[in-house]
Amino acid sequence: MLDIIISQLANGLVLGFLYVLLAIGLSIIFGLLGVINFAHGAFFALGAYFAVSLYSSLGWWSVILAPVLVAIVGMVCERVLIRYLYGKDPLLSLILTFALSLFITALIRLFWGAGGIPFSTPPAFAGIFEFGAIFLTRYRVAVLFITVLLLVALWAFLTFTPYGRILRAGSRDPEMVEMLGINLPRVLTVVFGLGCLLAGAAGLLAAPLLTVTPDIATVAIMPAFVIVTIGGLGSYPGAIVAGVLVGLVTALTVQFAPEASAASMYVLMALILLIRPRGLFGERWERFE
Amino acid sequence: MAGGLASLAAPGIVRAQSQSGPLKLGIVFAKQGVWTEQSKQLVDGVTLALKHKGNQILGRDIELLWYDEANPQGAQQNISKLMYQDKVFAVVGGSNSGTSLAMSSVAARAQIPYLCPGAAAAALTGSDCNPYIFRTLTTTMVASRALAPACLDIGKNWYYLAANYAYGQDIYNSMSGLLKQAGGKELGYDKAPLGTSDYSSFILKIRQAKPDVVMLGLPGGDLSTFLKQWADMGMKGKIPVACPIIGNIDLWSVGAEAATGYYGMPWSFSNPQNPQVEKEFAAEYAKMHPGQAPCADKVWLGWYTTRVLLEAVEKAQSVDANKIVKSLETTRINDGAYDAGYRSWDHQMLHPCMVFKVKDKITDKWDWLDAVAQEPKQPSWENLNALFGTEQEIGCKMPPH
Repeated sequence: MLDIIISQLANGLVLGFLYVLLAIGLSIIFGLLGVINFAHGAFFALGAYFAVSLYSSLGWWSVILAPVLVAIVGMVCERVLIRYLYGKDPLLSLILTFALSLFITALIRLFWGAGGIPFSTPPAFAGIFEFGAIFLTRYRVAVLFITVLLLVALWAFLTFTPYGRILRAGSRDPEMVEMLGINLPRVLTVVFGLGCLLAGAAGLLAAPLLTVTPDIATVAIMPAFVIVTIGGLGSYPGAIVAGVLVGLVTALTVQFAPEASAASMYVLMALILLIRPRGLFGERWERFE
Repeated sequence: MAGGLASLAAPGIVRAQSQSGPLKLGIVFAKQGVWTEQSKQLVDGVTLALKHKGNQILGRDIELLWYDEANPQGAQQNISKLMYQDKVFAVVGGSNSGTSLAMSSVAARAQIPYLCPGAAAAALTGSDCNPYIFRTLTTTMVASRALAPACLDIGKNWYYLAANYAYGQDIYNSMSGLLKQAGGKELGYDKAPLGTSDYSSFILKIRQAKPDVVMLGLPGGDLSTFLKQWADMGMKGKIPVACPIIGNIDLWSVGAEAATGYYGMPWSFSNPQNPQVEKEFAAEYAKMHPGQAPCADKVWLGWYTTRVLLEAVEKAQSVDANKIVKSLETTRINDGAYDAGYRSWDHQMLHPCMVFKVKDKITDKWDWLDAVAQEPKQPSWENLNALFGTEQEIGCKMPPH
């Protein structure tokens, strides 16, 4: 019994980190822009589709190119649509980005078709990693490492680089930042692009794990929202802790009560919100109070 | 809504069919959403069958009206429109059980024949049967009966993984009954939520249980996801997997490296024992779609259903709904070896079931399946009748018509 629990926990940890990557992008967009991006799942799907299309022709370059392309699409959307939502009721952003999500999914269906596209794990990552009771695919272990690396890089960018400081300042006090001569609208465009880059990266990494269909947009968005809610809207460490928690709880529920595995993260969210309504690490966000 | 209320008020409207001009045939298949690919294949089959008859029946042109099947409510509205407003002589439609069951009730009220090529839910020609619905695809019960012998030959310790809704539960119920009858053992039964995107934790459990066969009750998209992750975790080839009903597209979307297992499928283009007529049909389809996937099982389902419908109308020499219904009950297609057609007391298509195994080594881009069994081996109307269930098993009580 202990063996299978250990292997489920290890599996859940890997799952959790993939969810974290997805949720962090959402959290950044909300935290720094105040926009609830319901189209996040659609950008995740775009990342997967770009990866599938580009890998066959460009090989490993697609790993860099796919998320960057998604970021570009995201920045275009920000310029054209999202920037009109800043400072407005968050409900407006939810509705607009929901419509955007449907639109992007329909475009995916138009260009790539509605059927599933096969996309296998790259041969370099094929195989199994076994360590005691832990049984994982090499690819999932790689995803774990890459995700951790991306998260550390992101944290370093936001904390130590001047540009990262500008991003954080711009969300706290936009007027002051503008008075200091910084082109704030451009900064905000980059932030949205950054969030979409992370969603695209998550999609790229998830593509070999799932069947790539337009519906993976909906598959992705719900865990992302649950994690951001559990961790606290706008909280970076919160998203990490919540993502890992959701991964572990889902894996253990599959072991003991599989039919409830999809519902388990919602039950977890309900329990946590009952005890702490703002989420585990949620801050009181002045602009909405 | 108004159409629905009107239909409640005036059942069985007698239509004054115009004696000249085109005859309208309605089809309801998805133009958007998850069922788009399968629907396109079904529609391809329908149009091919119409083409073979020169798009004409009883000396008049056939006008095809295609409405969407987005969800059960939308499908109901569209079939109502076809039957009450457009005054079609029949409707062919339904790529899945949810929409088909919804449309069946409309057909019963409007009293126009409705032929369903692609739904497997038992209730359609079972507890919810009515004189105007005809179904082509096998039910899960029959498909399970066809697949079970091949799996029992491999071993008698089975692990079940089924999606937690009617279709998955149907498969578990049918298969577990057959396993018990054969004296086998159930090592585990996991109900996965419909639309699960990650089966890795389920696969860990299966790996620990070490069954002889993994019996899957997953619908198309979920099956593809499972197979992909099954192969990733090194389980492909270690323990055979099986599923009583799948379609070509479910395997093609997984990819050749991950495809594996024993499957019941209504028909495959690659089966060397296909009758000559069907080989020609597959060849014609391939010529019409060069460079694309060959004729999928759903194309055959659409084609076969429409073929029987047109034969029945020809035989009845009328487009009166009740005459078509009577004719459909007695029309038989014989492509060489056996009679096939809709059974009169439940309107289920009696046709042999095929069991296929994914080749160990896949070399062709599309041809991945070897036929391993046909049930019954020597089909005849009598043994098909037995395979597809007795009146007591099916539970269909049709009013006299």
